[in-house]
Amino acid sequence: MSMFHIIIALGAVGALIFLVGIAKGAVGALRSGHDTDADSEAGVVDSGHYGFTAAFAVVASAVVIALAGVAPGLIYLGPLLAIVTAAGVGTAFLVEGH
Amino acid sequence: MDKTSLLATPGLTPSVGFAAMIGLGLFLLVLSFLIRRALVRNTHDFIIANRKIGLGFGVGSVIAVWTWAMAVMMSSAMTYKWGLSGLFWFVVPNGFAVMAMIPFARLLRRNMPQGYTISEFVEYRFGHSKVASGIVTVTMIFGILLEILINLKGTSVVISTVFAIDWKIAAIVGILCVLTYSYFGGLWTSVMTGTLNTLMVTVPAAIVVAAVYHNINGGTEAVFQAVQAADQRNLSVLRPDAAAGFGITLAFGLLAATVADQTFWQKVWSIKSREVTRTFFWAGALFYPIPICLGMLGLVGIAYGLAPSDIGGDIAAIGPYVVSHIGLPLFLVVVYVLAILAACYSTIDGASAALSSVVAVDIVRRYWPCTAEGRLFMITKLSMFAGGAVALGIVLSGADFTTLVLTTYALKTAVLLPLVLAIIWPRTNTLGFVGGISLAILFGMSIRSVYGELIGTLSILGISGATVIIAGLLGREQFSLASLRNVGNLIESVPPNASPAGLHPAPAASGGN
Repeated sequence: MSMFHIIIALGAVGALIFLVGIAKGAVGALRSGHDTDADSEAGVVDSGHYGFTAAFAVVASAVVIALAGVAPGLIYLGPLLAIVTAAGVGTAFLVEGH
Repeated sequence: MDKTSLLATPGLTPSVGFAAMIGLGLFLLVLSFLIRRALVRNTHDFIIANRKIGLGFGVGSVIAVWTWAMAVMMSSAMTYKWGLSGLFWFVVPNGFAVMAMIPFARLLRRNMPQGYTISEFVEYRFGHSKVASGIVTVTMIFGILLEILINLKGTSVVISTVFAIDWKIAAIVGILCVLTYSYFGGLWTSVMTGTLNTLMVTVPAAIVVAAVYHNINGGTEAVFQAVQAADQRNLSVLRPDAAAGFGITLAFGLLAATVADQTFWQKVWSIKSREVTRTFFWAGALFYPIPICLGMLGLVGIAYGLAPSDIGGDIAAIGPYVVSHIGLPLFLVVVYVLAILAACYSTIDGASAALSSVVAVDIVRRYWPCTAEGRLFMITKLSMFAGGAVALGIVLSGADFTTLVLTTYALKTAVLLPLVLAIIWPRTNTLGFVGGISLAILFGMSIRSVYGELIGTLSILGISGATVIIAGLLGREQFSLASLRNVGNLIESVPPNASPAGLHPAPAASGGN
């Protein structure tokens, strides 16, 4: 099975996660979007610390690009991670509010 | 790898191109109607989505508005021009720029939870200074217009390259498609269609890039060897000329493009407050793979020895040229085009939504506070058409793509440090803020035109930041950000036929300048 076919298969999985997520999100938005009650949590902002994880993401992106210049097969890291992005957005809908 | 073997995929007729542009527009228009019917009743819904956007749509829409024609086409172009160093300098600061919003977004959302625009923050921060808020409003409008026209130019480049449609026609059709659907739902439409468009620039884009390499005799190995043979430095991320040539300048410019952009601040105030921080982190991190994936097309351009003259003169066309000439089946080329269009449409849409918020809050409500809700709603929506028309006019004039981008970044760079300091440093005062931006534009832009991008950018940052700091140290004022918690909803969520609504008087800020 070539890398192209693997990416198609994984892409389908990533797209499915995305679509399940966005469907949940759309239903939730339609239910709460018209709610004119004042946001009882206005001004309450997540105070989690993202410094290290943000730094990790920045460094990881640099490493992935550098790896494309190390071995030819690692050129496919970009497309593979793009599928992770789609799945990630879908996951964001699923973990919303938790 | 012989570039003469590259031939246009058969069937890429202008009709197919128009079908792609208009078809995508119609699909999004139907969605827009449904969204408007369900979620949009008034200006408040239109410009701030009733502050009900959750994590999912927040992440998806932030990625969508940040995935400009830049991310999907310039990533390939910079790789083509500088090798992996070009991709490195283009990509790494890009995702960071989104995540860099986090501390500022958190501060303002906590202390000014009912805000709408960054210009509004500046107005209250500096004691209702019309000059300070006016400068920021003008900068925001200018930045939004350039955002629209850059992506409109991107649309015209890809359509004209792949389908041989006159680029001016492509630009006209493109802007009409976007404005038609975004007119109906404002921010909710932008957020939902943008999130859907994020799917287009991920999975289909990944499949197309993989297909390109699959279609090359020898695949990634052959491309790798050819790229290395063309220039050893192509596979290195450590080329100093890439850093000096555009990388460092772009890095600062990208920071300015998020922190000093109403498109992102509109998201800050429209996303549920508990999800703001997470949204910008997830969006920044998940954004990275998109330009990395599409950047790999630039390596193919190098491998085939393509010259800019082979692809119409604009290196931004390298991605579309490779995809449409490598021998892919017609439907995959169309999928790629739809991915690019999705990126461009969603960014133009998001920018138009941001423009509507600026017009409603920073212009109409500020200067004509007694405007009835119905009229305000109509003006807000029509402002999107005005912005699109201006952007279209500039694009049709034929300005160079790269020049437009670098000019945008330079102007926003002048606002960046003063704005950051206004948020985090209590001693920033009006004189320093206004003076810093003005002097940076006046002298920094002149230095830039003489000494180039790098020195120009550093000069702009230095002049603007130093002016703010010096003025702040010389002055005695201290501003309490917490005083902005009393700023109320400027645009009430009222039925469209509500009677004329006056400006909701915000309680006087305490501890201000």
